[in-house]
Formats: sequence, C-alpha cells, structure tokens
Amino acid sequence: MIPGAPSESSAAARILAPSSRAALRLRGSCMSHGGAMPERAALIEAQIPRLRRFAYALLRGDRERADDLVQDTLERALSCWHLRRTEGNLRSWLYTILYNRFLSDQLRARRRGLHDALTEATELPGIAGGQEAALEHRDLLRAFSALPEEQQTVLLLIGVEDLSYEEAARVLGVPIGTVMSRLSRGRERLRQHMYGNLDDNSLRRNAALRRVK
Amino acid sequence: MRTAGGPVGEDDLQASVDGRLPPERAAIVEAYLAAYPEERERLSQYAEQRKALRAAFAISDEGTPKRLRVAHLLAERRRNRPGRLAQIAAAVLLLAVGGVGGWTAREFVPRLTSSASTILASTVFDDAIAAHRTFSVETRHPVEVGANEEAHLVQWLSKRLGRRLIAPDLSALGFQLMGGRLLPADSGPAALFMYENGKGTRLSCYYLSVDSAEETEFKYREENGISAFYWVDGGLAYAITANAPRKELLKIAELVYQQNSPDGAKPKEPPAPGKPS
Repeated sequence: MIPGAPSESSAAARILAPSSRAALRLRGSCMSHGGAMPERAALIEAQIPRLRRFAYALLRGDRERADDLVQDTLERALSCWHLRRTEGNLRSWLYTILYNRFLSDQLRARRRGLHDALTEATELPGIAGGQEAALEHRDLLRAFSALPEEQQTVLLLIGVEDLSYEEAARVLGVPIGTVMSRLSRGRERLRQHMYGNLDDNSLRRNAALRRVK
Repeated sequence: MRTAGGPVGEDDLQASVDGRLPPERAAIVEAYLAAYPEERERLSQYAEQRKALRAAFAISDEGTPKRLRVAHLLAERRRNRPGRLAQIAAAVLLLAVGGVGGWTAREFVPRLTSSASTILASTVFDDAIAAHRTFSVETRHPVEVGANEEAHLVQWLSKRLGRRLIAPDLSALGFQLMGGRLLPADSGPAALFMYENGKGTRLSCYYLSVDSAEETEFKYREENGISAFYWVDGGLAYAITANAPRKELLKIAELVYQQNSPDGAKPKEPPAPGKPS
C-alpha cells in the first residue's frame, strides 16, 4: 500500500466523513448518565474560564477553535464523570482531557494537511491584537511562540495555570524530571529572548547545576 | 525533591520562582542567592517573565458563551442520547447480523467501556515498551525472522493474530525493516516488527488483536527516554515505540496509521484529492 495524497485524504475522510463534528465528539464517550448532575455541573462550570484560557494559549489565540476544544473537553468530562479519580483533583483531570484532545486534534489536522497552517504559525495574532496591553505583550508572546511546543505547554501549566509540578507531569504523561527540565530550559530561553544576549557564565553554571541534580 | 541538606539545584531555583519551594529549603536557597547575586537577578527575571505571561494570557472577563455552559451541554446530551431500548436493539441486531451488517449497528452500540479501554491501553503500553526495551538492545538476535523473509514473516504473524497484518514501509522516514517476532500477551499472541535507521535508532511496531470495533485516539507515553504512541483501530491495538522524541515518533505513527488504513483494501472510490469532507 503506497501512502500518497489520495490515500491520505481517504484516511482523513475515514475519520471525519462518517460522522459530523458532533458525532466525532461522541466517539469513545463513556455513555454514563448517572451521578449527581447539579454537583457535577457546578464543579465543572467553575473551571471553564481557566480551561478556555489554556485552550486559547495552546491554539495560539484562535478563539473559535479554542472554544471547540473546551466544548469537546466538557462533553467528555460530563460523560466520563464516573471515571474521575476521587483522589486526583478535578482541575488537573480536566486539563489532562483537554491536552489529550488537543494532541489528537493536531493529529487529525495533520492528516488533513493543515498542520503547517495550524502549528507552525509564529505569531499569536488573536492575543496580540485582541487585548489592551497588546503591544507590551507582543514581544513576549512572539518569543514565547518560538519556544519548542513542549516547553510552552509546561510554562503554561505551571506559570499561568498554577498546576503543581506533579500535576503538570500527570497532565502531560511525562516524568516530573522532564517537566522540571522543560521548565528550566523554557524559562532560560525566553529570558534570553527578552533580556538580550547570552551570559556564558550563567549558562555554564546552569549546566553544572543540572549535573548536580 | 531532594532532602533538606542537599546542595542547591536548578529545581530549587525554579521552585522558588513558582512559590513552591519547600520551607526547609528556603534558607539554603537564600544563602546561595546571597552568594551569587547574578543568580538572584536571573530568578527575578524569571519571576517577571512569569508575571508577564500571566498577564498576557489573562482570563477574559467576557463570560462563558452559551454553548460552553454546562446546563446547555447536558440538555444537548439528553436530546442526542440513544434510548436504552435502542441500544439493546442495536446490540441484538449486531449479534444477529454479525460482521457484515454490523457496521451500521456498531455506530449505536457503546464499544469497549472506557475503563476497559484504559486498561487495554495501559497493558499494551507496558508490554510494547517492555518488548522494545528487551529486543531493541539485542545486537545479534533482535528478531526471530529477518526481513529477508518478509512475506513469510507477515503471513506467519497474521495467521497467529488472526488479522491481516502489514509490515509498514517506513523507508520514507529512513527506517528499514529488520524483521519481527511473536510475543506472548495476556489476551493472546502479539506481533512485533523491528526497524532500524542509518543512525542505529531502533523502532518497534507492536500489534495485538483486540475484540473490539472501537477506534480510539492516539495516546502517548514517555518512559526513561522511550516514547510510544498507541491506538486501536480495525480490531488491532497498535503501539509504536522508539528511543526518539515525540515529534519524530508522531510522524512514524502517522505513517503506520495511514498504511494500515483499510481504505486501500476497499473497492476504489473516485479520489477526492485535497478535499477531505
């Protein structure tokens, strides 16, 4: 079987064609209808603004797609409520669903050939243009979007969303040491973008510190 | 995190930026920063940067749009939910008509429950990563049957798994088939195809037959430098495992997914290039 344009698009069609977007959301849903709805509703509702913020940042300011992602996440959370681990916290559970959805949406988009358009963008037009402090943030956001995606995600989860290191590791499905090194590398890279040039001494010391760990 | 007495490390410094430094580490970090003022400067720049990012990604105060309100979503769910009777009828139909007509009914029947599918994913991840760890380091016997007998290998493994398998062609990404082997798994035999690129990086494609028509999303796991993508599609669970970064592995997983797409086996439909519906 030779992969080529027709087979790629038919692979995408196989995923997308039989079902509308709504049906796509239903796929793999947990189909549970039990549980106390009002409690569930209130707990989830309280998290929506944060989820939107995270989705918005992941999708580089595309509000429409960010809200689609949040909607998918919420629908999944509502139908999979019984799978929520009681010991884990709701917030990181929701972030996990959202981030996994984000990754699989990216995969689908790639299969549709939209990958370049969606993830290689270097600007954050929606954010930069849509807020009052736009100019102040523009440089920062430009530098931020130049970071490797995995570092961006860690900086968002920890710096903006206030997740603990353990929670971020759980959301991303990576060891905590990986989270720490992405955090450290991301911050340093962003600092060099923002405050100008490299300081060789401090770089050397950072390397030494990481070895100590 | 390290014990109270250990030397100051980068993790301590990051934790101090996030206000997550354990109290017993505070004094030692403070002493360190007193000795290295340029480090203090670096941390204050991180703190500034953190604040600026929070401001840039501030929560909008426009309120939650209706379509995201939980009450709205619940109402939609009630409207779209297939009735319990319909589900049972569909299940009966599926049993009655078997594989041929079952495809349509399948759409209405809950497949693997989600917890079962989580357990399956976790088992396959464990097994595939363990297999990769074991066999990818073998210099002399990484595979049971070599690529020189590819047709035989594929036929043999297909027969044992009861599914038509393919050994994906990953040469476009620089990986050549080395061969494959049969492996035991809890629910039956599993198949492993091993590949290698010019740099000596090895990659394994792990297949397990599953008793489910479910099609899952890609799942990702990373463990001590080994990363793996997993999905279920067309009665097979797949795990693609390599000592490679996520991005690179993703391309491989996509290629394997495409090549396993059953569309190639269907009667030819008029191609619709570039216009996925």
